[in-house]
Amino acid sequence: METILEMREVKKSFGGNHVLKGVNFSVHPGEIIGYIGPNGAGKSTTVKIILGMLQQDAGEIMLFGRSLAENGDEYKARIGYVPENAELYETLSAEEYLLFVGRLYGMDEQIVRQKSFSMMKILGIESAFKNRLSSFSKGMRQKVLIISSLLHNPDILFWDEPLNGLDANSVQIVKEILSELKKDGKTIFYSSHIMDTVEKLSDRIIILNNGTVVADGPFAELQKDADGTLEQLFNQLTGFNEYAELAADFVTAMKGESQYDA
Amino acid sequence: MMRNIFGKESKSDTPFFIKILNFLAPMYRAFGVDYPTLRVIVEAKMVMDGRQESVIQKSGWGNKKKNDEDKNTFFQSLWMYAIFSLILLFLFAIDNIVFQYTIFFSYIFVMLISTLIANFSTILLNTKDQVLIGTKPVSSRTLSAAKATHVFIYLISFAAAIAGPIVIATFFFHGILAGVLALLLVILASLWCLLLTIIIYATVLKRFNGEKLKNIIAYSQIGLSVFTIIGYQIMNQVIQIVDPEVLAIELNLQWWHVIVFPLWFVAPFGMLQDGWSMTYGIYIAFLLLGTLGIVLLYRVNNDKLEKNLQKLDSGEAEEDKRSLYETITGKWLSWDKRELGYYHFVWQLTKHEREFKTRLYPSLASILVFPAVLLFSSFRFSEGAIEESVTFIYMPYFTMLMLPMLAVSLQYSKNYKGRWIFDTSSENHAGVFLRGMIKAMTMKLIFPIYVLLSAVVIVMTGFELLPVIINGFLLIIALFFMEVKRTITDYPFSRQYNASEANQGCLATVIFFGIVIVTTLFMFLIQEFIPFGAYIVLVLLLAVDGWLLTKGFDNTKLYQL
Repeated sequence: METILEMREVKKSFGGNHVLKGVNFSVHPGEIIGYIGPNGAGKSTTVKIILGMLQQDAGEIMLFGRSLAENGDEYKARIGYVPENAELYETLSAEEYLLFVGRLYGMDEQIVRQKSFSMMKILGIESAFKNRLSSFSKGMRQKVLIISSLLHNPDILFWDEPLNGLDANSVQIVKEILSELKKDGKTIFYSSHIMDTVEKLSDRIIILNNGTVVADGPFAELQKDADGTLEQLFNQLTGFNEYAELAADFVTAMKGESQYDA
Repeated sequence: MMRNIFGKESKSDTPFFIKILNFLAPMYRAFGVDYPTLRVIVEAKMVMDGRQESVIQKSGWGNKKKNDEDKNTFFQSLWMYAIFSLILLFLFAIDNIVFQYTIFFSYIFVMLISTLIANFSTILLNTKDQVLIGTKPVSSRTLSAAKATHVFIYLISFAAAIAGPIVIATFFFHGILAGVLALLLVILASLWCLLLTIIIYATVLKRFNGEKLKNIIAYSQIGLSVFTIIGYQIMNQVIQIVDPEVLAIELNLQWWHVIVFPLWFVAPFGMLQDGWSMTYGIYIAFLLLGTLGIVLLYRVNNDKLEKNLQKLDSGEAEEDKRSLYETITGKWLSWDKRELGYYHFVWQLTKHEREFKTRLYPSLASILVFPAVLLFSSFRFSEGAIEESVTFIYMPYFTMLMLPMLAVSLQYSKNYKGRWIFDTSSENHAGVFLRGMIKAMTMKLIFPIYVLLSAVVIVMTGFELLPVIINGFLLIIALFFMEVKRTITDYPFSRQYNASEANQGCLATVIFFGIVIVTTLFMFLIQEFIPFGAYIVLVLLLAVDGWLLTKGFDNTKLYQL
């Protein structure tokens, strides 16, 4: 099968800090990829490079069958992006923000307004359509960002922790939306820390640790190497197995009886 | 109702600047910019600038307050500058067209460059746009041009305010041709300032990365300030007062003066008055070539800035340590545990925040250079020994010129959302916070500069001036308290940087000047003409500062704006 995205030995460092040390993986059209890893593993950096916000130091990235280096900026019209930390222009209203994004995609205003209002209605936040984003809760902002990434009907989605701040019901809807989008032939590349969701939702799971891919495959396949849940596999692959001791130490430290010196 | 700029039914409501932009569309296309997209971005930016961001939702969403309505404080305060610039009309009393426009363009360039660097760098170097706009099918060229246009709208409005009186007067005094020339050259000067700044930033960003880059930008701004001031020192030499009685002036142009580029802007006026001459011809040629060069350089570099901007956010973290100086001064000066906490908080926060540095450091640099320039100019005009010059003795007092900008800058932070932590305290701690902040900033920024300037004075004149110098420092502390009182109503570091508030520092400075002149004059008279006056002032100021440093702001309550 042809690939829609391929990373070949992608490296990136900031100063002396090597964030990506040769990342390799490929994504096929219609796949849902769960991109997971501990904090600081380089997940967001990977996505930022693919979206052209950062340039890689070495390696090649193929997207839609062409090298990123040769692509202009037009390829971004086929991408839907949800940034980490729910960044958006807070002084605009939800309507204005979505219209703004829609116009950056060169879309007709009437269509954007209609699409975004219906999507907000389905997610239950249509009453805030004309309110400033600064008054939105984290979950509401996340919904606006998800909508803004879908306005232009993209082929591939890069969602950086899309479930952040959403309540359980909304998580349920978003999961279903992802399955629907997959049926529609969309490719979805998302990162998350909720192992349970990643385990059930992803066709394939890529685990990044310390700047390299340490596991890549469907959950069932990964399970053969390690019995149990994805969480356990994750702990094992990222070399983390002393959580019980650490928790006890943490509470000791809180009481001021720490064995470590500052 | 919020103004909806995104069309809908209000097509007639197109803002003025958009009409102008539409007119310039072919030029944008020539630069490889996607004009419709640029328009969308600039429109949205202007709408955002007109709105104050409320950090915490006030009383649930769905309620719009009156003060939420669109207003742009920047444009509302421009008339102040126009009035201020009326002073320049005195130039027409001196009958030398070259002199008139030399001073005029000097003024324009100093004002524009300092405003641009101090207030608009944060917009040019904003990384959020990369994430939100750069990830859409928008080329770096277009995004960069949109940002430049956004800043240029402010810059040209500012230029109109400060240059307006003179340009209008030019039509009356020198005729229509000169008036049109003045108008065009002011626009060109604004364009020069903006493009030069962008080119410099783009070049620096391309070559360096990470933490280093932030420092380089802070220093490059200082360098630019220094360069400007040196340029004016040369200008000062060019102008020779032949006869002070009738304000007769002669220009002493040497070939090497050609490096002072504001003179290039003056040459066309000279030609208008005196006809063709070799010097004017060369200067005009430089003006045209310079413009062409800048435009070409911009054409080459205009996508580089955006491409490398993310470097600003992804620097490796350096290890934070308190310096010995910080630790010791903190221990000595903060007599309360909470105050000490704020002392270190403010010190570290201002150490890391690029926005704070880009706002403040240029004015710090000029404070170091300005006295030197003043000194030499007064030295040239007066025959007396340098040590006896009053300007020289009172040189350290110039440090107080940084206070208004400092007080204004302390309101803002990139991480303004962190303000919630101030609200979680179980008691009113405005007093300790503000005192700790004032002490930290005094020791971190004011004291070193003051000591440096004082050392120069003491080395050259001896220790008998010590009381006067100590008094100056005590006065600065008192004035700092006053400035903070006047400026800060919410917790410090709890507001967002915003283009429309970019000129707050300038405005505060203008108001501050009045206060400073009166106070300093008062002190000067007491110290110079009353026996032991300096000691009387010393005792008084010690009492005032003693009270301020222990009890000041104790009854202050800070509230959300």
